[in-house]
Amino acid sequence: MNKPRFSQWIVPALAGVGLSAMLMTVAAGDKTFPVAAPLAQPARPPFADTVSGAGLVEASTQNLAVAAPLAGVITRVHVVAGQQVAAGAPLFTLDEKPLAADIAARGANVQVADARVSEAEAQRAEADEQLAKVRSLADPRAVSREEIVRRETAAHAAASRLKMAQAALAQARAQLKQAQVDYDRLTVRAPVAGEVLQLNARLGEYLRPGEGTPPVILGDTRTLHVRVDVDEADAWRFKPGARAIAYLRGNAAISVPTTFVRIEPYVTPKKSLTGASTERVDTRVLQVLFAFDRAALPIFVGQQMDVFIEATAAAGAQPPKPQS
Amino acid sequence: MKPSSNTPAVACKAVTRVYGEGETAVQALRGIDLDIQSCELMMLVGPSGCGKTTLISIIAGILDKTDGACRVFGDDLAAMSAAERTLWRRENVGFVFQAFNLMPALTAVENVAIPLLINGVPRSQALERAGEMLARVGLDNRRHSLPSQLSGGQQQRVAIGRALVHAPRLVVCDEPTSALDHETGHQVMDVLRAVAAVDDRALVVVTHDARIFNFADRIARMDDGRITDITANAAAREAVPA
Amino acid sequence: MNSIALKMLMGDKLKYFGLVAGIAFATMLILQQSSILVGFARQTGAFIRDTAQADLWIMDPQVRFSQDQVPVRGTTIQLARGVPGVDWALPLYQGFLRGKMPDGTRFTMILVGLDDATLMGAPPVIADGTLADLRRDKAVFIQADKPEKKLMMKRGGNRPLAIGDRFSANDQEAVVAGTYRGRESFFWEPVVYTTYSRALQYAPPERNSLAFILVKVKPGHDLQTVKAALEDRTGLAVRTNEEFIKLTADYILNTTGILVNFGLAVALGVLIGSLVAGQTFYNFTLDNLRHYGALKAMGVSNSQLMGMVLLQAGTVAVLGYGVGVGLGSMMGWIVASQGLAFSMPWYVPAFAFTAIISVCALAAWLSLRQVFKLEPAVVFKA
Repeated sequence: MNKPRFSQWIVPALAGVGLSAMLMTVAAGDKTFPVAAPLAQPARPPFADTVSGAGLVEASTQNLAVAAPLAGVITRVHVVAGQQVAAGAPLFTLDEKPLAADIAARGANVQVADARVSEAEAQRAEADEQLAKVRSLADPRAVSREEIVRRETAAHAAASRLKMAQAALAQARAQLKQAQVDYDRLTVRAPVAGEVLQLNARLGEYLRPGEGTPPVILGDTRTLHVRVDVDEADAWRFKPGARAIAYLRGNAAISVPTTFVRIEPYVTPKKSLTGASTERVDTRVLQVLFAFDRAALPIFVGQQMDVFIEATAAAGAQPPKPQS
Repeated sequence: MKPSSNTPAVACKAVTRVYGEGETAVQALRGIDLDIQSCELMMLVGPSGCGKTTLISIIAGILDKTDGACRVFGDDLAAMSAAERTLWRRENVGFVFQAFNLMPALTAVENVAIPLLINGVPRSQALERAGEMLARVGLDNRRHSLPSQLSGGQQQRVAIGRALVHAPRLVVCDEPTSALDHETGHQVMDVLRAVAAVDDRALVVVTHDARIFNFADRIARMDDGRITDITANAAAREAVPA
Repeated sequence: MNSIALKMLMGDKLKYFGLVAGIAFATMLILQQSSILVGFARQTGAFIRDTAQADLWIMDPQVRFSQDQVPVRGTTIQLARGVPGVDWALPLYQGFLRGKMPDGTRFTMILVGLDDATLMGAPPVIADGTLADLRRDKAVFIQADKPEKKLMMKRGGNRPLAIGDRFSANDQEAVVAGTYRGRESFFWEPVVYTTYSRALQYAPPERNSLAFILVKVKPGHDLQTVKAALEDRTGLAVRTNEEFIKLTADYILNTTGILVNFGLAVALGVLIGSLVAGQTFYNFTLDNLRHYGALKAMGVSNSQLMGMVLLQAGTVAVLGYGVGVGLGSMMGWIVASQGLAFSMPWYVPAFAFTAIISVCALAAWLSLRQVFKLEPAVVFKA
């Protein structure tokens, strides 16, 4: 046979190239992408049957927002954030100067009243002596009747003035005492032993009671509570006393077993939840409190946790078994 | 089974052929009686439309007769099925056409090999035998030429080679020289006589080219579907060098 | 006989090349249009595939496709977590949001918010920066590929948004902290990733804002069982990745008319291919009818002729197909490199092959009718 001519091999060659190009394209397929790994593992339910909820960590005393009883400028702060304080320990002090001056003035008043009492006592002693002098005379005619009456009246008056001075003294003392009590109230003290969770009191700030952020948030953090919101639709599956395990957000490997504390008996609109900053009420939730040992976790009050509560097997969802 | 020389290769008795039906029917053959002997070159001559092409078509087994009897090498073609006739043609008939009918895409040797391939001869063997055949028709040096690279006479010689390569007992030629000039026509007929008309082979040549009448053993003249006369051409054998 | 058939076919170069070219053209047309259609269908599921870390998606039953915004209640997550067999359940925000680039160019983005703690659902590849950068203040991630197409500053900035740029998302500041790579999406809007809580901050306030919940099924639990349990507990639609992809593709392809348009284009390809290839092949056979007649006279049977014609048709079909798929693939590379829809899974070339073979078979059948009808006696009619 003759050697193959150009026209005989060019088309099969092109077809071969084309087929391989097609096979390559098919084999290459679509641009594939790996499945991205998550940054952290999500929490996984530890029980066969669970009720899940988002929980907010709080102190076992709840988080106490300590209020100031009076308005005033903060002059001293006795604690730092995170400090453990004993019950009654001073937290911060409001401006004392006006009250200190008041106390000084009232102290002076006491002294004045005291002097007045002494003066009145002296005057009464003199009046009594004058009266005694005329009464001790043997000859009644030595002094006129009028003179005796006058001296008797003077003695009465002196006695009354003494009483008045004594009353004034008592009043001045009471006023001093009141000023001292007010003075003491300028220093706000810890109502319970606990940790300073938040310190908003800063020197020089003017504090108005009941307005703005509380100056100090305090709470007992040796044991922490986690307040779990259970969807009302799931609430029936929860039995008081159930076991629960709380997982740290961001690292589901860190978890802690908790003990049941109590249920807030009133179902409330959902407030603090899944990290949505502009949280909107969209359901009502049953709040359940669980306690755990703080030392077990690197966690802080106010943090969110994923909590899985062991549920009784979904008995209610099944039709009741007929008794045989 | 070689037929004895006294039984004719082709025996036609009162063969008729009608094209179409009813009003438009055309009587192409009106009763042909013709015997063609083995080792004979029979020429059918006559004007156009006289029925000579129809006659060779029936003899070659590619057209059915309407009536009469036609036996070729003792076989009744009319009794065969189309498939049987195809097989019969494959072995027994060689064709030479007026327009050569070579495959333009095949080389000379490949064209010659076609009948062998049809008969199931393996390709390499077929090409070898086709090459030998080409040598016999004098085109040994043009084996790998395409038909378009050959002259008309060369093409017709290739066609003759193709008609003979499978050693058929009957060769039919339709106007083999009409497309060729005088000299080339003679050369082709020389080849045809020398190569074909041997080995008890019967040749039927349809022509109206009077220049080649001398190559015939017998000449049957036809007109209007009938054979008007058959003349023996005694000079033929002597006139042509073997 | 086969060699004769092939030589007949290839002998007339003009017809041969014409035949192959016609079939190649038809193949290319079918392949190209089908691949674009498949590409579009695939692109509709790009977001779902990119986010496929989970097994199930919880969504509102009215969600029609992956970018549909029908949010559900936030606490549904907690309900889902309580379903037996659920390994984890996390929120995913997604929504369209208007933004403004530093130079004032307005644009619309698809904002995706990932669960803050885990950042589950992150795009497949972080190109620049690390995923943890998303936790930085106001941080968002933008696409790394071709930002100039979707995140171009056109009002004086004259460059695409890049790392460090600050733009406003719904009038709130966002900082580009990194870039990612993912699948080409059907949706033109650039996809911007941020954390779930930040996404809610940017998003216009709505009563509900949780778009999807991603749920992973615990190993050893049956997907369908968990799915049914989730549907039961939440009352919402729960879909597997594949179901969600199919839902999205069906919706988009049908509503946009892409399916009809490209379906018509494919049908047109088949039709034009049939006409071109069929007509050329039929003509080729008619032109060779004289030779078929000669062969018939020489004793070639009808079955042998059929073999020859089928061999010729099959040869041009295979060769034309080969050239066509090659051209189609190469055009696909060009198209795909431009980020346009083009996807050629194995069934596209298989479909094209079936179509081309059918077309050629039809042409061969029509041709064979002519060959079979042929009386061998015609060979003597010059």
